Amino acid sequence: MTKQNNISLTRRTVLLGAGAALAAPAILRPAYGSTTLTVADPGGPFSPAFRKAFYAPFEKETGMTIANVAREAEPTAQFKSIVETGTFIWDVCTLTLSARMILEEQDLLEPTGVEAADAPGMMKEALFTNFVGTDVYSTIFAYRTDKLKENAPKSWTDFWNVEAFPGRRALRKNPIDTLEQALLADGVPLDDLYPLDLDRAFASLDKIKPHIDVWWTGGAQSTQLLQSGEVDMISGWNARLQAAIDGGAPAELVWNQGLYSVEGWGIPKGNPKADAAREFVKFCTRPEQQALYTSELAYGPTNQKAYDSIDAERAKVLPTAPANISQMRLASEDWWSENRADVTERFNAWLLI
Amino acid sequence: MTAAGLSASPRTFRLRANALWLAAPAIAFLVVFFLIPVGRLLFLSIQGDTGSLTAEHYDRLLHTEVYWRILIITFRIAGLTAFFSLLLGYPLAYWLSQLKEQRRNQMLLLVLVPFWTSYLVKAFAWMLLLGNQGVLNRLLGGAGITDSPLPLMYNEFGVIVGMVHAMMPLAVLTMMPVMSGIDTRLSQAAGTLGANGAHRFWMVYFPLSIPGMAAGGLLTFITSLGFFIVPAFLGGRQQTMLAQLIIIQVQELVNWAFAGVLATMLLVSALIACWIYNHLFGLASLSAGSSTADKTSSAWTRRFGFALLEKLAWITSAVTGRFSQGGRGKILPGYVALIVFFLVAPTLMVIPIAFTSSDFLEFPPPGYSTRWFSLYFNSPIWISATVRSFGVAFATAIAATAIGGLAALAIARSRSRFGGVVFAFMLAPMIVPRIVIAVGLFYLFAQMGLVATNLGLVIGHTVLSIPFTFVAIAAVLKGYDWRLDQAAASLGAGRFQVLRLITVPLIRGGVISAFLFAFVTSFDELTIAIFVSGGLKSTLPKQMWDDMILQLNPTLAAVSVVVLVIVTAILLVADRLRR
Repeated sequence: MTKQNNISLTRRTVLLGAGAALAAPAILRPAYGSTTLTVADPGGPFSPAFRKAFYAPFEKETGMTIANVAREAEPTAQFKSIVETGTFIWDVCTLTLSARMILEEQDLLEPTGVEAADAPGMMKEALFTNFVGTDVYSTIFAYRTDKLKENAPKSWTDFWNVEAFPGRRALRKNPIDTLEQALLADGVPLDDLYPLDLDRAFASLDKIKPHIDVWWTGGAQSTQLLQSGEVDMISGWNARLQAAIDGGAPAELVWNQGLYSVEGWGIPKGNPKADAAREFVKFCTRPEQQALYTSELAYGPTNQKAYDSIDAERAKVLPTAPANISQMRLASEDWWSENRADVTERFNAWLLI
Repeated sequence: MTAAGLSASPRTFRLRANALWLAAPAIAFLVVFFLIPVGRLLFLSIQGDTGSLTAEHYDRLLHTEVYWRILIITFRIAGLTAFFSLLLGYPLAYWLSQLKEQRRNQMLLLVLVPFWTSYLVKAFAWMLLLGNQGVLNRLLGGAGITDSPLPLMYNEFGVIVGMVHAMMPLAVLTMMPVMSGIDTRLSQAAGTLGANGAHRFWMVYFPLSIPGMAAGGLLTFITSLGFFIVPAFLGGRQQTMLAQLIIIQVQELVNWAFAGVLATMLLVSALIACWIYNHLFGLASLSAGSSTADKTSSAWTRRFGFALLEKLAWITSAVTGRFSQGGRGKILPGYVALIVFFLVAPTLMVIPIAFTSSDFLEFPPPGYSTRWFSLYFNSPIWISATVRSFGVAFATAIAATAIGGLAALAIARSRSRFGGVVFAFMLAPMIVPRIVIAVGLFYLFAQMGLVATNLGLVIGHTVLSIPFTFVAIAAVLKGYDWRLDQAAASLGAGRFQVLRLITVPLIRGGVISAFLFAFVTSFDELTIAIFVSGGLKSTLPKQMWDDMILQLNPTLAAVSVVVLVIVTAILLVADRLRR
């Protein structure tokens, strides 16, 4: 074990050296001046948007270097491997709330040290001792305006109503959010969703099952389905559906009865660069930085003050804009972390029948 | 190294057993980089919270029907894929094997086209072809053949189309070297004894081609068991495969104990399937000398087999008798053209998409531009991923062909009763889900300082490639005449000289196939790249995956076109140099 630690230390030293060479011209802050932080973000459109909003301004302010890599949709397995082997290839990584919970249970997260007082304007749902939210995404649905012109669906009950709203439909092949949608369609008020009434949810799903043409599995696929007109109504993450609309697809989002959740930074436990990582994470709570990514990513800033510097037209498509978030609720991570394994099993069995 | 240690033992002079030591490098390699890391992970499945041994996780499996249903679905999809890959690929392989070598090599380029297009891009190409608003449905609707769009996708049909398309080149490339090794004079001899065309084929040629089919069927079947991208994108609600569930357990639920249970379930049932397959189709003919196989297959199965083939011969001659002589000659080329079109169509569609002006993968493109190519060529990330992928794939191909080839030689030459065990062990990396190997390797590599290194990638990919190189070379060795080696040896050639000057040149077709399989396995590998690279040493599939996980854009198509051009150029140059 000692020998291997030596190897990784040597590699780190080399990286540090390289970082120092790169950062030398910048104004150095004594503590972290030569540090390179490896940051794992969701990749794709996130990388340039986060570089503009967070990485580049942070580099300029602190003299540290941010090297960003793309992480997987669910990086929990990798995160666990990194902490358990002490191979800190990532210093900071974006996590969903559900990933945060899993990692917290296994004690794999480092405290971020960010207090509510340090970050005025931050949503309380976005701050944990070991997690700092950067953006809010929501699960809603979209419909094609070329197929459902005057007769627009406005709720999940409408989505379920195949007579009044004919058209091809797609849902996500995953119990998360889909069960909530089934209950909302069946008339359960948004505020009374949790704990989910499973039997009622599956009974509601039984009704829509024969009318679902596509069960999608990935975010990019949902964009493609809406953009190509393969389906006329589809559940999905707001930014993925917005991407089709931004690309010219005739479609409209329905925020009513949406569920939102938070994505944000976590630091692998035991990371020797945790102090620098905390510095970075705190930087990302600044409203003026968060506002910068919204021009490219249709996600909601977790700091409400960011809306001071976002134009009103763009705010309309962001989940945390007051007009949108008031129609939605936070998906319950507590309920899901408790029940996910069993519910996933039941949902998979239900799909096959 | 281990081989040297072993050969020092006093049993060295037992010539037959001796040959098994050629498998030592493969066994040592797989023990270190496969058995130990995977075993460590699977061990979690019998460990309780306190570290004591427990059967609770297996108990859950026994009491949950859904996993057994999904196991059946997985086997059904893999079985259908293997069946159609063989059935549709056999005539193509036959046709190729009849061509002169130079022309065959050129034609092979076409068969290999789908190989060079990433699984990810192929899946999306099929979505554009088979969708409700897809190319096929628009053609059929436009021609007035169908009134409403046909459900070609999001069902079992879509999955099978996508998977057969991905697997058929593998089947063809495994069958073809065996077929070209069949002595054509045997058919002629049957002809002079009065057999007509159909009888010559079914009674003489077909039985001789069975080792190729057995190997091709096995490779496609087992590879298909691990698929997850195609069923996710082209399947409907009922097409869920076990690998998808294992990925969910590993990555989303982080329940590695239960992931270990599911992986063990897949592994054990795949091994049972191999065992049954072996008894039905005489796979043992690959692992041991043909004489052993003859002994094991009882007389009545042989008689039954020949009776069946004779029936087939009668039917064939009755059917083909209805065609004129000229018409009969056109059936095979016509069929081959159709199948080759099936193989290249998705890739052909990718080419115009790469030049699209749209931000989406659309067919036909609304306008044309080269922006996606300039995006690719101006991106240091894409270029370095491309260079790394070619380098890693090349190193993997060399390592896996050498290691797997020696093991195949060992199995073919050895009569040891351990042959079967070694054979199963060589195939194991193909059966164990890649995500399990990937997680296991991460822990091992972390201890060795190999995380996020190119060497780590090469080692991981070599583990995955050995089964392919091993089977491809074992299949050609099956028909190999060992008396040629003996003749050379009796004329004074040393063992290495025999290998270099006699054996390898004669089984060249199989060695080339093995090399290509290993190259492609590495070139298209995603899971190990995700884990071992951690995003720091990105390969092409990993880079594509990052790009497409949230938003698909035509860069993927542009990358595919660049790769296709590079690979075709390399293969053409290699072909020139050989002449």
